[in-house]
Amino acid sequence: MSKEHMTEQHEIETLMQREYKYGFTTDIEQDIIPPGLNEDVIRLISAKKNEPEFLLEWRLKAYRHWLTMTPPTWAQVHYPPIDYQALSYYAAPKTAAELAEIEASKPKSLDEVDPKLLETYEKLGIPLHERAILAGVAQPSNVAVDAVFDSVSVTTTFKAKLAEAGVIFCSFSEAVHNHPDLIKKYLGTVVPAGDNYYAALNSAVFSDGSFVFVPKGVRCPMELSTYFRINAKNTGQFERTLIVAEEGAHVSYLEGCTAPQRDENQLHAAVVELVALDDATIKYSTVQNWYPGDEEGKGGIYNFVTKRGDARGARSKITWTQVEAGSAITWKYPSCILRGDDSVGEFYSVAVSNNYQQVDSGTKMIHLGKRTRSTIVSKSISAGHSQNAYRGLVHIAKSADDARNYTQCDALLIGDRNGAHTFPYIEAKNTTAQIEHEATTSKISDDQIFYLQSRGISEENATNMIVNGFCKEVFNELPMEFAVEAQALLAVSLEGSVG
Amino acid sequence: MNRTPLPEWLANSLIDTLSSQQPAAPGEIHTTARAQVIEWGLPTLRDEEWRWTNLRALTRPLPTSDVTAPPETIGVTDSMPQVLRIRFNGGKLVELPKELPDGMTITPLQDADHAQRRAAFAPLAQSPNDALLALNTATAAEGLVIDIAANVAITPPIVLEFLDAPSETAAQTRILVRCGPHSRATLIETATSTDGVTSWRNSVLVAELAVSSQLNHLSLGLDGDARLLTDRSFVTLARDARYRSINIQLGGQLVRREIDVNITDTGAHCDLFGLMMPRAKQVLDTHTRLTHGAAHTTSDERYQIIADEAGRGIFKGRILVAQDAQKIEAYQSSRNLLLSDSAEIDTKPELEIYADDVKCSHGATIGRLDDEALYYLKSRGISSENARKLLITGFAQEIVDQLPTPELVEWVGQIIARRLERQQAE
Repeated sequence: MSKEHMTEQHEIETLMQREYKYGFTTDIEQDIIPPGLNEDVIRLISAKKNEPEFLLEWRLKAYRHWLTMTPPTWAQVHYPPIDYQALSYYAAPKTAAELAEIEASKPKSLDEVDPKLLETYEKLGIPLHERAILAGVAQPSNVAVDAVFDSVSVTTTFKAKLAEAGVIFCSFSEAVHNHPDLIKKYLGTVVPAGDNYYAALNSAVFSDGSFVFVPKGVRCPMELSTYFRINAKNTGQFERTLIVAEEGAHVSYLEGCTAPQRDENQLHAAVVELVALDDATIKYSTVQNWYPGDEEGKGGIYNFVTKRGDARGARSKITWTQVEAGSAITWKYPSCILRGDDSVGEFYSVAVSNNYQQVDSGTKMIHLGKRTRSTIVSKSISAGHSQNAYRGLVHIAKSADDARNYTQCDALLIGDRNGAHTFPYIEAKNTTAQIEHEATTSKISDDQIFYLQSRGISEENATNMIVNGFCKEVFNELPMEFAVEAQALLAVSLEGSVG
Repeated sequence: MNRTPLPEWLANSLIDTLSSQQPAAPGEIHTTARAQVIEWGLPTLRDEEWRWTNLRALTRPLPTSDVTAPPETIGVTDSMPQVLRIRFNGGKLVELPKELPDGMTITPLQDADHAQRRAAFAPLAQSPNDALLALNTATAAEGLVIDIAANVAITPPIVLEFLDAPSETAAQTRILVRCGPHSRATLIETATSTDGVTSWRNSVLVAELAVSSQLNHLSLGLDGDARLLTDRSFVTLARDARYRSINIQLGGQLVRREIDVNITDTGAHCDLFGLMMPRAKQVLDTHTRLTHGAAHTTSDERYQIIADEAGRGIFKGRILVAQDAQKIEAYQSSRNLLLSDSAEIDTKPELEIYADDVKCSHGATIGRLDDEALYYLKSRGISSENARKLLITGFAQEIVDQLPTPELVEWVGQIIARRLERQQAE
């Protein structure tokens, strides 16, 4: 074994031992329903949240359907069967539970919010503090945050400014109370309650999430953002997000996640629904950095998420951008249903996996409308003992005249104990369709490293440059706030991992 | 599991078969397979490997027909006298070559020894959840073992001609081809059937390529609109072996071929070429699985589908590079022409890679004929129909040209040309 190789090995080992940066637990009282799942638990969740009858019925229907389903087995991931009766389906911080009961008693300012909670967000670097922004301590930012702590939305900032524009941005529970008509009209229209195993489970037990409504002709004046965190032990997190952009509206939504270190696997089964009417644009960006498990593959989040956008109107556009760095298992396919004529769907993804992480992720582009176009750019980087699969569907229906798809999937392998896989499904039923798919799998070539080193660049910097260049097409699609975070995340994730 | 129980008619025919003939599979393999057949039934669209191919046609008894005569033979055997011809009629071995070249032996499965039969039926263990393989293993009584000795080159092609005669149940055949070290051979599988007469063949071919041996394996399904074929090949390559598969499917109501190639040692190379041209309501489907199990091995895979009328073409190709199988070069392309709005093409080129020092890529395209190319030809005074035909032929020719002899290239080329003309006339 050459000397270089030894150093490389050493560096990889150092990387493997890096600890999860965000592994800490906030010690506050929680209001938890005992583990187990049955109709009573669902009724209890619904009652705790004071939900209208139609929502309870919807939940129960989803639950009864879920009972008839079996977990999907086609994904390239392996894990022991999940005991759904051992999970707790509702956890809310005490203070927030009270909030949910009495809307009026919400903290008027951040001073009233449990300081420990604020501290947690501080550690995560969420720009929650409006004062901090005003004082110029944090970076001046045009971002509204709806922070989700475990299951209940705690506080929402920038409400006034958004209200002025007519944009509704609030927790899902709030929306259920204040805008039941909108919820009734759009909930489950993109991801039906019985869509798949995890979506059905989510529909039955979802706790909270975010709701965004951008009325006709409005361009949302700022980026909207939600930080999800999973905190309590053994609680599944079942978020439900619904974003509706009316005719000509425009909204950019950012979702970021970090979770405290936990030894036992935690389940996260979220559902995100996007609806874009005529000429509307929705841009949904995610940076996901949940606890991936330790170097032995112990612990970590199971991330089984259903995300789907319905480009319902003509000339509407939905863009998914994601940087996936965390979770022990990721099972996630943000999709676009291109229903409106001339609608556009885009998917840009960077998926990094390390240690024993398993990723099976990709997208679905369902072309139904005429002249619909979709672009898929997927970059995966696998290191350690991880498995990283792209699984994507491009479907051109008979009605989709002159539809166009371009797909590019590139995989980068770092080390020889991991796997990179590509499973593209391509279905065409219309002769005017034009579909292109290309994929490559390779490692960073010794030539490239050598060239950069000969220019006086260290091996590590050279690797960083190459990896950054590899992901550039995706980073370019991220909003400013996220692009910086994503690059930092990538650098940390792969520090010293290549020789 | 997402399966339908074994249809009643199939279960009955299985019982009939087992009571009337001695199964060829060795005892314990046969017992396992029989249990699997009953447990697994038939795969459905919810089974990931069958999501595009519906086996509905097998859920009820096959339609019977008054035609009992074997179909007229066509093609290879007539136009090429220099072949070693083996014929099966409805799954029964009916003809063997009168003379065999030195170094080649053919043993009917009934006369094969235990070791040969064990080798012929070995793939059961490697292929979990394969209901049709289990069915073949449980019921195949007829078949062959073809042995080619070391250092021998068999010049005339070995032709396996299946006369897909109407029968009440599946013709289950099992072929084992063993190529000795440094040997060379060409094997052609062809099928012949009568239009409008339903037949079903569920066949398995196992090929073992020893060190430095070469096998050209052609599968030509050139006719038939009612023929059902479920067929799989299992191929193993030893060091420096070369295997070339050319799979051309132009007919059949439902054709599902699965080709499993396992490269087990360094220096070996595999070519997988395929052309499928579904029309009418045909469903032509090929699944390939290519495993690079050793370092310094290469492969080239090219599949093309031309789907017209209400035809359906399906391709799924998986390339798996095992851990520590470094310095692999694997190239895979799936290029497809969709000529009618009632037609459908589904393709899924897959890469599954567990080693890092590899060069693997795949590409897939689906489109129609190039408008500009059509316009160019028409501007040169070529009629629309002829221009279309020229472009289709040109596209198909890329695979046809890979056939090993000029005679075969011409012969298959003509069949495609005739078919296009007939379609045009219709």
